Amino acid sequence: MAANVRVRRPATPPPGLPHVAPSSHKYPPIRQDHLSADERREAASKGYGPGRRSHSPGGLNITSGEWKLLAVVLLIALGVRMFRISKPDSVVFDEVHFGKFAARYIKTRYFVDVHPPLAKLLITAAAFISGFNGEFDFKEIGKVFENAPYVAMRMVPATFGVATIPIAYLTLRALDCRATTALLASIFLTFENGLVTQSRHILLDSPLVFFTALTVFFFVGFSNEDKKEPFTNEWWTWLALTGLSLGAVVSCKWVGLFTIATVGVCTMLQLWLLLGDLRVSPRMWARHFFARAVCLILIPIVFYMTMFQLHFLILGSSGEGDAFMSSEFRQTLGRGMEDTYADVALGSDIAIRHLNTQGGYLHSHSHNYPGGSGQQQVTLYPHRDDNNLWRVLNATVNNYEQYDYEHKPIVYIDHGSHIKLRHLVTDRGLHSHEVRPPVSDVDFQNEVSAYGMPGFIGDINDDWVVEIEKGDSSDKESSKRLRTLRTHFKLRHLNTGCYLFSHKVKLPEWGFDQQEVTCNKNAVKENSLWYVETATKHPQLSADAPKVNYKIPGFFSKFWELQQVMWTTNAGLTDRHMYDSRPLTWPRLRRGINFWVKDHRQIYLIGNPFVWWSSTASVITYMIVRGFLLLRAKRGYRDFDNTKVVKYDSLCGFLFVGYCMHYFPFFLMGRQLFLHHYFPALYFAILLNCAVFDLATSTLRPKIRLQIAAVLMVIAVITYSKFSSLAYGNPWTKQKCSNAQWVKTWDFACNEFFDDYSQYSGVTVPTLNRSTPMATIGGEPGGRAAIVVEDKLGQDGVVPPEDEQSTTVPIGVPEPGRDVFAKDEQKEIKSQMRVLQDVPVNNVDEKEISAVTFEPTSAAPDEGKEEVKVPAGGMSATGESEGQAHPKVIGIPEKEIEVELGEDHRKSHGPLDHEEAIADQVAHELYPEARLDHIRTSIST
Amino acid sequence: MLLTVPVFNVQLFLVIQNSRSAFERVLDTPQASAAMVGVLTAIAFALRFYKINQPDQVVFDEVHFGKFASFYITREYYFDVHPPFAKLLFGLTGWFVGFDGHFTFENIGDSYTDNHVPYVGMRALPAILGSLTVPVVYAIMKETGYSTIIAAFSACIILFDNAHIAQSRLILLDATLVLFMSLTIYSYVRFRKLRYWEFTVEWWSWLIATGFFMACTWGAKVNGILTVATIGIAVLVDLWDILDHKKGFTMEHFWKHFMARAVGLIVVPFIIYLSFFYVHFAVLTRSGTGDSFMSPAFQETLIGNELLMNSQELRYFDVVTMKHKDTKVYLHSHPDHYPLQYDDGRISSQGQQVTGYGHDDINNHWQIIPTKALPEAGRGRVVRHEDVIQLLHISTQTLLLTHDVASPLMPTNQEFTTWPKDDHSRHNDTLFYLNIIDADSEDPWKSKSSYFRLVHGPTRVSMWTHSKQLPEWAFKQQEINGNKNPTEKSATWFVDQVISTESPEGLSGEQVPKEPKKISFFRKFAELQLLMLQHNAGLTSSHPYASGPINWPFLISGISFWTENDAQKQIYLIGNIVGWWTCVIALSIYVGIMGADLLARRRGIEPIPEAARGRLWNSAGFFLLIWAIHYLPFFLMSRQLFIHHYLPSHLASALLAGSVLSFILSDTVNYPISIVGRWTKLRKSEYADLGMKGPVVVGVFTFILFLMFVYMAPLTYGTPGLDGETVNAKRLLSSWTLHFAAKETAEVS
Repeated sequence: MAANVRVRRPATPPPGLPHVAPSSHKYPPIRQDHLSADERREAASKGYGPGRRSHSPGGLNITSGEWKLLAVVLLIALGVRMFRISKPDSVVFDEVHFGKFAARYIKTRYFVDVHPPLAKLLITAAAFISGFNGEFDFKEIGKVFENAPYVAMRMVPATFGVATIPIAYLTLRALDCRATTALLASIFLTFENGLVTQSRHILLDSPLVFFTALTVFFFVGFSNEDKKEPFTNEWWTWLALTGLSLGAVVSCKWVGLFTIATVGVCTMLQLWLLLGDLRVSPRMWARHFFARAVCLILIPIVFYMTMFQLHFLILGSSGEGDAFMSSEFRQTLGRGMEDTYADVALGSDIAIRHLNTQGGYLHSHSHNYPGGSGQQQVTLYPHRDDNNLWRVLNATVNNYEQYDYEHKPIVYIDHGSHIKLRHLVTDRGLHSHEVRPPVSDVDFQNEVSAYGMPGFIGDINDDWVVEIEKGDSSDKESSKRLRTLRTHFKLRHLNTGCYLFSHKVKLPEWGFDQQEVTCNKNAVKENSLWYVETATKHPQLSADAPKVNYKIPGFFSKFWELQQVMWTTNAGLTDRHMYDSRPLTWPRLRRGINFWVKDHRQIYLIGNPFVWWSSTASVITYMIVRGFLLLRAKRGYRDFDNTKVVKYDSLCGFLFVGYCMHYFPFFLMGRQLFLHHYFPALYFAILLNCAVFDLATSTLRPKIRLQIAAVLMVIAVITYSKFSSLAYGNPWTKQKCSNAQWVKTWDFACNEFFDDYSQYSGVTVPTLNRSTPMATIGGEPGGRAAIVVEDKLGQDGVVPPEDEQSTTVPIGVPEPGRDVFAKDEQKEIKSQMRVLQDVPVNNVDEKEISAVTFEPTSAAPDEGKEEVKVPAGGMSATGESEGQAHPKVIGIPEKEIEVELGEDHRKSHGPLDHEEAIADQVAHELYPEARLDHIRTSIST
Repeated sequence: MLLTVPVFNVQLFLVIQNSRSAFERVLDTPQASAAMVGVLTAIAFALRFYKINQPDQVVFDEVHFGKFASFYITREYYFDVHPPFAKLLFGLTGWFVGFDGHFTFENIGDSYTDNHVPYVGMRALPAILGSLTVPVVYAIMKETGYSTIIAAFSACIILFDNAHIAQSRLILLDATLVLFMSLTIYSYVRFRKLRYWEFTVEWWSWLIATGFFMACTWGAKVNGILTVATIGIAVLVDLWDILDHKKGFTMEHFWKHFMARAVGLIVVPFIIYLSFFYVHFAVLTRSGTGDSFMSPAFQETLIGNELLMNSQELRYFDVVTMKHKDTKVYLHSHPDHYPLQYDDGRISSQGQQVTGYGHDDINNHWQIIPTKALPEAGRGRVVRHEDVIQLLHISTQTLLLTHDVASPLMPTNQEFTTWPKDDHSRHNDTLFYLNIIDADSEDPWKSKSSYFRLVHGPTRVSMWTHSKQLPEWAFKQQEINGNKNPTEKSATWFVDQVISTESPEGLSGEQVPKEPKKISFFRKFAELQLLMLQHNAGLTSSHPYASGPINWPFLISGISFWTENDAQKQIYLIGNIVGWWTCVIALSIYVGIMGADLLARRRGIEPIPEAARGRLWNSAGFFLLIWAIHYLPFFLMSRQLFIHHYLPSHLASALLAGSVLSFILSDTVNYPISIVGRWTKLRKSEYADLGMKGPVVVGVFTFILFLMFVYMAPLTYGTPGLDGETVNAKRLLSSWTLHFAAKETAEVS
């Protein structure tokens, strides 16, 4: 910041005259007439005295003694971070997600997450090497690990956490701080409870902080080289390393963008100063500019994209993330559809898909609207299904016999063709009329239903006009007539002039949460566009008629699509979490996060108050002092002539910019935020804290400085140990816990702990997690005494077994961050398949259904979300039972059909009646696991 | 004062350079300038008053602001998020033109003529204020040192702007806001020009005028705070310059300046701002629609307020009904029980249901049971803040209870149920602390006026309800549950009625005098300010014509103010696309010029003459600052935003467009422009020399601007009616959602 301030010195007297420093001058000028002006400025900015021309090249040229010191520090850090890393042996906080993602990678099943893949890939690599087969599901906090090499997985963040410490040491050395200062910083970082807690579990923040630190280190090294001589080999190396490391930060979490911003601001400042130096030719300046552009923009982008390429390469098969991606994308996940016939003609059986929403296919099933006309529902349904099939009929012929498309010449569907669409399974026509739809009950919307009956072709309200909107450039025919996949078209209702329309509005329970379809008189174009996804073979077409499929997207379109999905989801993460917090509360460490509670132990993310608060204090001190200096400069005080002021100004200024860039942008974010989002900023704050220490002790003798530092380190270690039980999940006592509750808002569950350490020796078997969640209610220190609730649920003699029912209110129970993608995935509700009622089913599976009903079997509990693959025989039976008109359901690969099972044997959807409730309860006691799945499903639907 | 043409202070300078053409010399004489501003003002009045009686129906937000004016006349208390100055002006106008306040402006499209509302008089106020904006804009440009022709250019952009005209022909606040905002700028420019005559009478007058207009801007609409911020930043920059030791001022000198500005720009505006509220409270003395927003103490100051009339102290064993403050449901219970198990599989206590019920019913009656010994009679029986009480449900003779069981709808909240009163096994769970909001210890509990929270003793949850309905088994009544946050704001209840009392002397409370109470003005002011802030932030519901700030400068979409189906008439708020896009182009040119200048100077090249450069940085820079401060903060707001929020920024961009045009036409400026002081160095002065191209360019531009204005005028004035084809033709951008468009292109989401 202040590097543009020229260092002014009183003129050196002519040689020969005795040089007498004016006694009133506060800072005696140093003899440096042997240096040129630029060298002087450089020396001043580094705080060196005269004659010392050396530049510290990135802080790596430290003495062997310091290397030894560093090794000791590293050992301490290793001990602190790795201590009992295998405890707890159950899932902690967001391990729920990141562990799960590792399992997905190993099983190569596609998933979507809001974070870029690098850190997750590293964790997966560790898991893979240790032989994880992906079988553990990381379902909930507190679930005991089985068959999961969780120690190896936790080692990855822990290693990064350890590695951060020497980096911090070297960074401060490269910034020309003293060894004592650097040592102090590394001890502060080592004994920061928050960083320790965060790096001991399968979480992404530890790699993020490490790469942030690494970037800062490389950039400082680069800046040092740049001051010495640009375009040397070392210069290029440091610059390229900075770029790579930037790529790594942003590939861990998008928060890494703040690091990019920090480096960007500093680089812009460098370039600006360079621009003002008239000795640098424009050509040279351009060279500087492009070198930085290539290394700090291009390299990170390439790195970032490479990570995603790896991500795509690994996740080759379909999984729960499919639902978020476009059909084209899904085509690359191995579960795409087979090629389908390109031509659509009268008599073709087609599946029509909505273009703009991910709602799916135009669908109907044998359930009626509860209101409106009471006719059969027409919806959008996201999965492939027989009920999505419609036959294109000619609307200009009135009788049921129809145009004999099997023998007469083929008639393609052109722009302006009048057609009827016949729902194959129920044999009803797509119909609309002047009736308001039940959900979007507004004037300009008409209901769309399926109407008619076998033998009755329907009336004029079944007639639709095809309006071709645009074809594909690769297929010229597609803009003239309807072609599968390539043509986007609208369907205009002939009688009322409205357009077939759908939007992101879900029907209520009676419509199985499927998406609403209406006929809209004022339709926005995007939501009234449709395309044909599959067309079965038309009798008139030869077997080798042209076939089409989705275009396989290239890497860039896949990459871009995924970025968009991540971005929209990230911005949409706005619901509240029990432990979320706003940025304003972070610097004062108002509250932590409950990570895990079990067996009278707790893991609670809380910082080291001493380190935390002192670093906040130093940030504020810096702001005040800098503001004061600014005012003084304006009034003509020459503080910036002092080399010491210049040196510490640029040093602290750099760290302060880093702090601001990593902290203030969070204020603009509306999404859910947590304390651990402050960690990168905290890293800068701690370094700034130590820089302030360096300044404050700069006039002291080294020995005294070391003593002061030692005292500070001891205080940090003592504070650390006071809270360490919360970091490691160690035994603790109620007494110690409430003593440690320095701030009222720190809500670790003191009642959770035993009164005495000796009681812990008795605990061997893990108790159930839900035992005593009522941790902080009543009995706060200074408040009213806790009032004990004597009996729980004593009435009617129906005392539910303690550990079976969860009637208790979960207060203070750890809760993982929301995984939006996982949640949404459960919303896929299966369609009703009336026609399959009689099909003998030999492969029973659990389905996610729209109402809570008792599932009499718990077979294959793990693969609940898999779609059923019905054997070919079963499927052809379906076709036959369904009707004679189409002996074969052509074009749909048989394995794709999803069958709703068990559904038909149940009662209709609706609230449970009493008998069912009782039956349900019995079943629950028999199959607790199976029940759980159902409850989850119903909550999310 | 403002209409007088600013006098051009040239006589003090050594006039060295004067190569202007004769035409321009004539134009820049005070007489020509006066003629110019006279013509512009006349046109402005003509355009804004043209067919001002059309339409004779309530249009858009006249629904609100007309209503507020009528409240001032009937003196009924109302609540609004905007400060009262502009609305007071409307009230005053309404009173002046003889409006009796009995028309309530209920719906858009209500007829004025049928209801005998003197609406033309009321609309005349914004029309006058809007018309006056044009000469003020001219004066700002003139005072900043631009030639007549450039000043006219900026004024014309406002003069022929459809959005400014549409907005100032109706009973809306923006005309007031924009006028006072431009007056603030004008005064500040005048003040700044006097900087070499510090602490003279003129200097003080313009300083205080700035403060005064600033307060009026802020008092007109809450967005006016942005004008305050603009002046604040400009003053800080100014003070920073004075602080510079190179100027050679002492610290005493600096503090003198500092204090002067603190007085003129903080103390004076604040007093004026307060005075608006003082008048506001003084006028609105009766109970009205705004009562329920305010605290009970405030409500008791209003004549005829229900609280004032019916509030009485409660005593133990009184039977009362309690209502939830936000959702207005009664605390209710009935003999039905919670079902054994909910749909999601959780188990209930199967206790008696406690629900929120919207209607009066015997099941809403609860008796207050003491938990301590009571005297036989007297004040000792009064229920007080922080007392521990039980509530007995009269019809089932059970006590209200909550316990550590999840509520039916929210697994995180506690279930409320009741317990037989004779069964003492769960005595502890029936104890509740009565927390009266904003009460001191020993304050009595009063019906109506005491808002309270009921906090459970053992578990510290507070009784809460939300608008979600329970399923059929509870007859779709509202769920009552225990909120974990004992100080939850929405867990506020009050006693609605006292059904019976066993302490006859308790009724003596009813004899309280019906005189409205008095609380200090400052308490009222503080309370209202806080509420305004909260509600302003709370305006987040969606509106079909709300638009994001990024759309505004480009006129992506407007607002449909009013339509009449029969004649196919409509008023659509949209700017003059020529004017607005010119402003956007000017903005980008300005940023480009300044960026290039910065880079060039960094390389030691000085492409722009010093005088012109100073003008670009200081005056145009000030305009850019105004534009940015009135525009960019909207990006951070999540509330409902409309295109008319951009009007102040548009005015600033029109000023900037003038500066940029002047720079493009010529390198010369009128210099120096500040009034020379006694110790100012004499500098070489010069005149802006635009040549003939200036008048030609401005003339042609104004002509195009005027044509565009006329073309869009039917949408601005709402008359005449248009057929579908014409509407289509006037839909210059496809994103404009005009009504009555011909069928083919109709696309409404």
